[in-house]
Amino acid sequence: MNLKKMNKGLDFLRDKYGAAKGEITIKDGHCFVGATPLLPGRMERKIVELKKMTENGTLEGVSTLRFAAFAPKGTDMEAMLAKELDLAAYLGASDVVRVMAVSSGSAINVLAKLANDVNVSVEIGAGLPKGEVGYDRHEIIAKRGVACDQTVDTHTPHASIRCYGAKGAEEFTDVDTELFGLSYEEIWNVRAAFALLQKRADAKVWKAAWAKATKAAKLAFAADKSKAAKTIAVKKGLDTNRSIAVAEVR
Amino acid sequence: MKPVKIAMMGMTHGHTRKYYQTLLDNQKLDWVASCAQDADAKKTYELYKTGVPCYLDPEEMYRKHPDIEAVVIASANDRHFEQMKWCAEKGIHILSMKIPTFDMKEYDEMIAMCDKAGIVCQIELEMHYNSVVRRLKKLIADGAIGKIQSFQATNITLSPVWAFPWQGDPQASFGRVEHLKKGDPRYKGGALCDHPHIFDLIRHLTGSSFDYIYAEVAPNLRDGLKVEDMLMAVGKMKDGTAFLFDPSWSRLEEKLKVPGPGWERFPKRMEVNVTITGDKGMISCDCFGPNVYHNGAPNDRYTVQYTYFDEWVGLIDEFVDCIRNHKTPLINLKWHKETIQAMLGCYDSIQSGKIAKVGAK
Repeated sequence: MNLKKMNKGLDFLRDKYGAAKGEITIKDGHCFVGATPLLPGRMERKIVELKKMTENGTLEGVSTLRFAAFAPKGTDMEAMLAKELDLAAYLGASDVVRVMAVSSGSAINVLAKLANDVNVSVEIGAGLPKGEVGYDRHEIIAKRGVACDQTVDTHTPHASIRCYGAKGAEEFTDVDTELFGLSYEEIWNVRAAFALLQKRADAKVWKAAWAKATKAAKLAFAADKSKAAKTIAVKKGLDTNRSIAVAEVR
Repeated sequence: MKPVKIAMMGMTHGHTRKYYQTLLDNQKLDWVASCAQDADAKKTYELYKTGVPCYLDPEEMYRKHPDIEAVVIASANDRHFEQMKWCAEKGIHILSMKIPTFDMKEYDEMIAMCDKAGIVCQIELEMHYNSVVRRLKKLIADGAIGKIQSFQATNITLSPVWAFPWQGDPQASFGRVEHLKKGDPRYKGGALCDHPHIFDLIRHLTGSSFDYIYAEVAPNLRDGLKVEDMLMAVGKMKDGTAFLFDPSWSRLEEKLKVPGPGWERFPKRMEVNVTITGDKGMISCDCFGPNVYHNGAPNDRYTVQYTYFDEWVGLIDEFVDCIRNHKTPLINLKWHKETIQAMLGCYDSIQSGKIAKVGAK
């Protein structure tokens, strides 16, 4: 991630729409504004759409979440899992209360339970060749309706553009005109920082949500070692899974 | 920079609702008023709860908001001329919907009156502010596939006529009542009039002009529709680029009166797909993907959910920049004229069964 470019993008949005001052920093590979960890996954457009479906009646009676994320060799699998477990809690609208996991080499398969009894499976793999952009999938299975952010009948994510030129086949998926030129990961971190500075996202909520997600991910690795599921006590109080106001056109 | 005091007029165009969030969010704008064509349009407008007052009489709107600097004309095509005239007489800048008019005499008058008034008149071709199109332009400009030889594009959608009836009315959409061709009971004014984008995009990407065009209409998919809903066109640009366009209403829809979830049927609401062959490679492009997919409410069937795309943000940014900094919009009336002529060429070809030289009339 190019922090300079990201903060330039953030300044552009702040200047255009108005927001408090602030800048993005990186610690241990994760982006922050001040002491608040960013949750860029919650800002990704596809996640926003899925979250809406769970709240606007498109899906009724969510039962199971099936998630997957694959990244290049050397990627921190615990951080990858933390992101996916945070999205599970967010889309399932309930905290993770139990995790079991089985790992092997650069992969870990996780089965988690939310407080509302929803099941969550997460496949994590960090075995892609260096330089690959990675791939993830989020499927929500409900009593009424199944929703997914990947197309049916294909193993590969959809790309907006495929260019077969002198460099061979190249793919491009641009999702944000205002932040054109930033990578997918950079864009959603900037959008997350902007949401935080505009107070659309609550710093307290994100701190608590990320603490829960990182704890659950750590326990998943511990569960793998001990070959026993780990339970997480749910504290009453702050709802860390409520949705964030975003732009939309229907 | 002082925010531009902006208003909307008509409120019957299919794109009307797409402006609301941008007009409210953008700090360079102060959205002060709206003026609906009729009580029905006002009622629909009020469903969106923008908090911006809506009038039924433009004069009343202007009396109460004499500081209006710019207007988004969001109305049926046959209302554009009078509304542009109204704006030009008051020195109000104009953001016009994608078809200013199909009457070329009227079109030239629009150019003259905007020039005389010294106002900005931007045409709403929002694809230029789509991030995928921006990448496409960059790849072509960078020479990723060399010189363009062939260009195929779809601008296919569901038909909006149930929500926006004027789009199925030949007078309101095309500006006059003319049969498509001898012996055909249908009239000009359907899908073609809804889909100028690909006629425009090819001009930008090739840097060339239309030479000739040949078009065919197919049997309609929708019973009772007075205008065409299925057609295709082939032709050539002056630089030799061959093209194939599909500007149909070939995606089916539920007959909703207000667009919303469940409007689309398989496969999706709208597709602008482009394949370009160059002398050094090829590009395949889906301007409205990826999306998300579900089979939930309201229809419990596989649905590609059209997601948020931010074209309207860049479009409005350019409009404000042109007003405040005295610039000419990328899509201005003069530039857009050839696009309209190419579309008219399709109708001429359908009528004659022969190729039509673009701009020959």
